[in-house]
Amino acid sequence: MDRNMKILVVDDFSTMRRIIKNLLKELGFTNIEEADDGVTALPMLKQGHFDFLVTDWNMPGMTGIDLLKAVRADPALAYLPVLMVTAEAKREQIIMAAQAGVNGYVVKPFNGPTLKEKIDKIFERSSA
Amino acid sequence: MDNVQRVANLANAHALVAALEVDDETEISRCITALAANQRGSVFEEVGRMTREVHEALMTFAQDQRLNDLTKADMPDARDRLRYVITLTEQAANRTLTVVEAAQPIADRLIDRSVRLRTQLAQVASAEADNVRLVSVISTVSEYLESILKNGDILKSQLNEVMMAQEFQDLSGQLLMRVIDLLEQLEVKLVGLLRLTGTPVTQAKSSTDEADLRQGLGPQVPNSGSDVAKSQDDVDDLLASLGF
Repeated sequence: MDRNMKILVVDDFSTMRRIIKNLLKELGFTNIEEADDGVTALPMLKQGHFDFLVTDWNMPGMTGIDLLKAVRADPALAYLPVLMVTAEAKREQIIMAAQAGVNGYVVKPFNGPTLKEKIDKIFERSSA
Repeated sequence: MDNVQRVANLANAHALVAALEVDDETEISRCITALAANQRGSVFEEVGRMTREVHEALMTFAQDQRLNDLTKADMPDARDRLRYVITLTEQAANRTLTVVEAAQPIADRLIDRSVRLRTQLAQVASAEADNVRLVSVISTVSEYLESILKNGDILKSQLNEVMMAQEFQDLSGQLLMRVIDLLEQLEVKLVGLLRLTGTPVTQAKSSTDEADLRQGLGPQVPNSGSDVAKSQDDVDDLLASLGF
């Protein structure tokens, strides 16, 4: 896994963005940018050559699930690995995210080891 | 159910059983219709009664000044308070995160330098193996470095725990935003209800009841108006103006 890969963290709560960023740094990733919802995130993704997207679900403007669908619908972004980190935990929602093409799903409250495990899994799968 | 209706129902039920036994379809259908019609009658009566009750409740409702205050002042105020809770928890979480972010590199440096020093000392110890006193001192220092490494790791995982605990702000904030949404919807519905019942939606009373003041109003939110002390200075000024 490339520790220099460019990661976009999308969450409407600045504290959560900060926590995720710190956890990613702890795992050795340093090239991290932030956005506070899908509306801000999508143009960044379209221009920014990101390698990995970590997004919340429930956000004003554009939600994480809509962002995921927009990403999958864009030929240039269709294969971008996407990890959802969200408090949304209904079965239907998890299935919805899976059907929309999410690569990993972490439910809040979560912890560092869980985040690491999901990231490892995503990149082990995509590099295999 | 009144007695006349009960007798009629019973007659229809007996007739239905009799009709079923001889398989008289016309009669079966007539009995069922008659039974159902009786039932509908009581449903209509019940709906009528409920409508009257709702109407009376709405009239009482409309004349109640408390409802107007609740809609125009208390509910927006409750929303402001909840928003302020989100702001306060966000500030507290960010403050904690700043401290954690400042402390983490210190722990990293402690660990890093201890590792390097341990290696250097080990090299010196092997080069100066004859110097018993030096080797003994190095061994003591190395033990100390070992403990720094172990405690450094513990410190790092504790800091990590403090950081993860700040996750509460996101979760509690999301929950509060739901409640704020709910209050907003409720407020819109109440205003609609007040209009429907013909109550003019007036400005709420601006001064707070003495009873409320005695009870205590809780922490004030920003923009609470000019009648609220915003700092200790305001409190001191007010007391000074009163001769304290």
